[in-house]
Amino acid sequence: MSAPLLVVRDLKLHYFTSKGIVHAVDGVSFEIAAGETFGLVGESGSGKTSCATALLNIPAPPGRIVGGSILLEGAEITGMSDRDLRRRVRWSRISMVFQGAMNSLTPVYTIRALMAETCREHAGNEHLDTAGTEQLMRRYIGLVGLPAHVLDRYPHELSGGMKQRVAIAIALFLEPELVIMDEPTTALDVVVQAQILNLIKELKHRLNLSYLFITHDLAVEAEVADRIMVMYAGKAAEIATNEQIFGERGPLHPYTRLLLDATPRLHDAAHELAFIPGAPPDLIDPPQGCRFAARCPWARQKCRLQEPPMATIEDGHHVACWKAMKDGEYERS
Amino acid sequence: MNAPDEPVLELVHVKKEFPLRRRLGEVIRGDHVRVHAVDDVSFKLGRGEILGLVGESGCGKTTLGRMITRLIAPTSGRIVMDGREITGTGGEEETAYRRSVQMIFQDPYASLNPRFRIRDVLEEPLLIHHIGASRAERMRLIEKVMEKVKMIPVRDYLDRHPHMLSGGQRQRIATARTLILSPRVIVADEPVSMIDLSTRAEILHMMKAVQQEMELSLLYITHDISTARYFTHRIAVMYLGRIVEIGATDEVIESPRHPYTRALIEAVCEPVPGRVQRLRELPIRGEIPSAAAIPDGCRFHPRCVFARPECADMTEPELEAVGPGHYAACRRLKEI
Amino acid sequence: MREFWKEFTKIRTGLVGLGILIAFVVLAVIGPSIVPFPSAIDHWRDISFWQDNPQAAPPVWINALPWTGKRGVVSSLLEHPGYSEVKEESGVKVRKYVFAYRYDSDLPPRDLVVRFQGQGQVPLDISLRRPDGLDAPLYREQLDIAEGVLQRVSIGRNCARQVIEFVRAHNEDLAAGLDPDLIKPVSILFSKLDPSMPDSPAALKGAYTITVTALLLNDQFAFQAPSIVVSGHVSGILGTDLSKRDVFTGIVVGIRWALIIGILTSILTVFVGVVLGVCAAYFGGAVDWLLNRLYEFVYLLPVLPFLIVISAIFKPTIWTLIVIICLFFWTGPYKPVYSMALQIREETYVEASRALGARPGRVIFRHILPLLLPYSFAVMALSVPAVIVYEASVSLLGLGDSTIVTWGQILHDALGQGAVINNLWWWVVPPGLMIALMGMSFAFLGTALDRILHPRLKTR
Repeated sequence: MSAPLLVVRDLKLHYFTSKGIVHAVDGVSFEIAAGETFGLVGESGSGKTSCATALLNIPAPPGRIVGGSILLEGAEITGMSDRDLRRRVRWSRISMVFQGAMNSLTPVYTIRALMAETCREHAGNEHLDTAGTEQLMRRYIGLVGLPAHVLDRYPHELSGGMKQRVAIAIALFLEPELVIMDEPTTALDVVVQAQILNLIKELKHRLNLSYLFITHDLAVEAEVADRIMVMYAGKAAEIATNEQIFGERGPLHPYTRLLLDATPRLHDAAHELAFIPGAPPDLIDPPQGCRFAARCPWARQKCRLQEPPMATIEDGHHVACWKAMKDGEYERS
Repeated sequence: MNAPDEPVLELVHVKKEFPLRRRLGEVIRGDHVRVHAVDDVSFKLGRGEILGLVGESGCGKTTLGRMITRLIAPTSGRIVMDGREITGTGGEEETAYRRSVQMIFQDPYASLNPRFRIRDVLEEPLLIHHIGASRAERMRLIEKVMEKVKMIPVRDYLDRHPHMLSGGQRQRIATARTLILSPRVIVADEPVSMIDLSTRAEILHMMKAVQQEMELSLLYITHDISTARYFTHRIAVMYLGRIVEIGATDEVIESPRHPYTRALIEAVCEPVPGRVQRLRELPIRGEIPSAAAIPDGCRFHPRCVFARPECADMTEPELEAVGPGHYAACRRLKEI
Repeated sequence: MREFWKEFTKIRTGLVGLGILIAFVVLAVIGPSIVPFPSAIDHWRDISFWQDNPQAAPPVWINALPWTGKRGVVSSLLEHPGYSEVKEESGVKVRKYVFAYRYDSDLPPRDLVVRFQGQGQVPLDISLRRPDGLDAPLYREQLDIAEGVLQRVSIGRNCARQVIEFVRAHNEDLAAGLDPDLIKPVSILFSKLDPSMPDSPAALKGAYTITVTALLLNDQFAFQAPSIVVSGHVSGILGTDLSKRDVFTGIVVGIRWALIIGILTSILTVFVGVVLGVCAAYFGGAVDWLLNRLYEFVYLLPVLPFLIVISAIFKPTIWTLIVIICLFFWTGPYKPVYSMALQIREETYVEASRALGARPGRVIFRHILPLLLPYSFAVMALSVPAVIVYEASVSLLGLGDSTIVTWGQILHDALGQGAVINNLWWWVVPPGLMIALMGMSFAFLGTALDRILHPRLKTR
């Protein structure tokens, strides 16, 4: 495999609030290859959105990247100034479809005006004239499956699905290599969601994109992601391929296992819906050992005292769990 | 489970229209633009039954729920409880009805007044209906109902404010609030869609346990047909204000007959491998039209992959039996 | 209630606000007993009451400030002197009152006013003994005194000739240049009699005594309670204004009215506005329509012409004024409350309450109104100073209640009579400061109450 597009090593993002420092992302490492959909799964408070905003260095205040490195095609982008990021990285190489993006389209501007603004903000070195911009906009509106006249419409005149397509078009506009999608289908109806997911897959092939696809829904992740990272309480619990998680053997980390059991499925009559009692730990004062230990049915003394490192169980399957490492050893021998 | 013979609650040809603000031109021309949120719905809800009302946004399920809890009144049609009509009643009958039919709202962050303590939230229904002669008696009822929803130890939670509780805990309190009046019917409008996945089953589990213990009838409104499978006895699928299919849950999911139901089920993502390289084939076209401009004939026909010209011209199909207790509203049932 | 208090004591700004308010209330109650002019309330506009006060005198404590150049005389009242009475063979009683006065200032007093009461024909003799040993006879007249009327003899006004005589007796040359119409008699009395006296008199500091001798010719004639007003350059805790009124008295007396006007009016106004706003929003339909038209009507009415008409018909008291202000100004809180209530009405927990079967009254009082309390307090706090100043402007037009004293009136007199231009800061700053302080105390109270009543702001 060629060199990965994005390499994240030991990323740490903390929020400096008046109540204390929230360790939202606390040492997360992963890689995204070119042309790959990398899924990021986690529930509320897991740090998945913070992780995404860290890549573009736009954390919600009072957040700040406090450690780690982000390499985009080998070049470090964590230390870059805001100006450089805006000109050279944001939107032109990494873009983002935010959570609830379809609702954050300014209602007083037409779609054309909204897209043109993005172009102006990020064009940087390339100066497109009006005709060039218009052509580009039409191309992408068409690419996301919308008719050209949508450009003249206002957001409130469009349906939820159409607005989400517009948000995707805006993210693709400057032809980035990596598109971060944060819960792109969560607010959509089931049929529209399926259509958007189809669109996302199509665009990936046509434009050779990589995605960082963030969602809390494992079923949706199964639909799109080549590889998946499961986050819990600011740390990565498991990184594995689609087949490794959803296939026969199933996930190795107890949290992923339980999360999978809690995911409803339509066609498995025998399946009982599981739940995980308890609540995630306080991120201002995280526990000493494994962060999931308090809710884990297999937790031992060691788990509570010592934080497990991310270990490679087999090719492409990494878990941060003492039990999984022990089980894995048994398997290998 | 078949449709019950002696239903606790029955809806008969219930409709709800909302007038829409019109532009001047339309007013002059005399166009009447109305949103047909609920367009002729009839069903029965049996004792101790959980009926799922499934549909996408704009299908009218929430409006239906609000009519059943009498937050809005139907434009036409009847709502009957225990054989007695309750549409249009007021005063004592209305109050008695409100005790019997309660609602759990979707947003656990918004359905509890943030200024109230939990004890105040749960005391409110008692005070409204003058239940419990003394404070002590009311407190006993409150403690009992909190134990039912597993908010224990009770002392820990009584004096807290909602923002000090998690989403799941708040929904438990919201459930407790409905139970304290010992209702017959509970309408749950998307009760777990704003709660974390890992807690959803816990809340549904708790609700089901309570429902069984108290023999309540539950109307479970959701857009997520997957959770409905675990929770409901029967499912009714709504499209653009009408029920297009209704039947036992497993049967509707495994053998859907209406094209819309089929499309809905096709669209659901499953946590299984091998999907990434494939596009999902959806037997449905286009987008949901506005409820102010409902298509002629069968309202689903513009999006239906099985549609024929007759589907647009003929009158709207009614629900017809396709199996025991299983009904679908489509002209071409036999062919597809 | 007790837990409310427990919560309240935790919030410092609330305690500060409450403290200031309590201080105000206490001052309002004990005020009349601590002010130098207790009956000022009834005599604020009575010129004769204040005539012995110095005009536009700064507060006494500026003498203590290091940058004050020449220290002025502190206005004071010399009372209860020792007196002796000698009865002569003719039956005439000679009553002699001796007043002691210590003069330390650089500037001489503006005037000495001998006040007394009595009855009948009473010969009166007033003389002054200076620290340099010289005696100055000032006044010798036979008066016809009416009973019950306060008598005044102003040395500065009545004794110019005697003073010139006094000077001539000790220094003929000095006296030659003195014109009785142009001199300041009291100034001379308190200055050294040296050649510099006419142009730049030097202060003769030391102990002075003033002797007032009255002859009581028979038992029917009486002479009582003499006192001497030393009218100086500085007076009182907060000085005097151009009408010679003691500002401190005015301020303290004004507290009561500020509290009444401010609190009563703002509470009433906000109450009416809030209730109407909530009703319009909650009930909708005809009620909504009617109230909004009423709002538009009242909002557009010009207040001042209306007030003028009213005052032409009735004689306005402060209570009428309060009612009228309420009748006009409920529109202020009405619209924002209306729009807020409209939003609150759509909140899910309000819907939940209605689904439970709650009546409109319960929904309004338990769910909607509490959310409006923070805004209401904010409006109340902000209207307190606004109302006080509005009342003052109204008073200017003669539409106010002239029987009372308010800060707004003091402020208005000050600004209207050019206090700022004439550098009479002690007249302008105190009332303004008081208005601001009262507004501040309400604002603090409001913040504390809001924090208690809105739990989400709790930091714990």
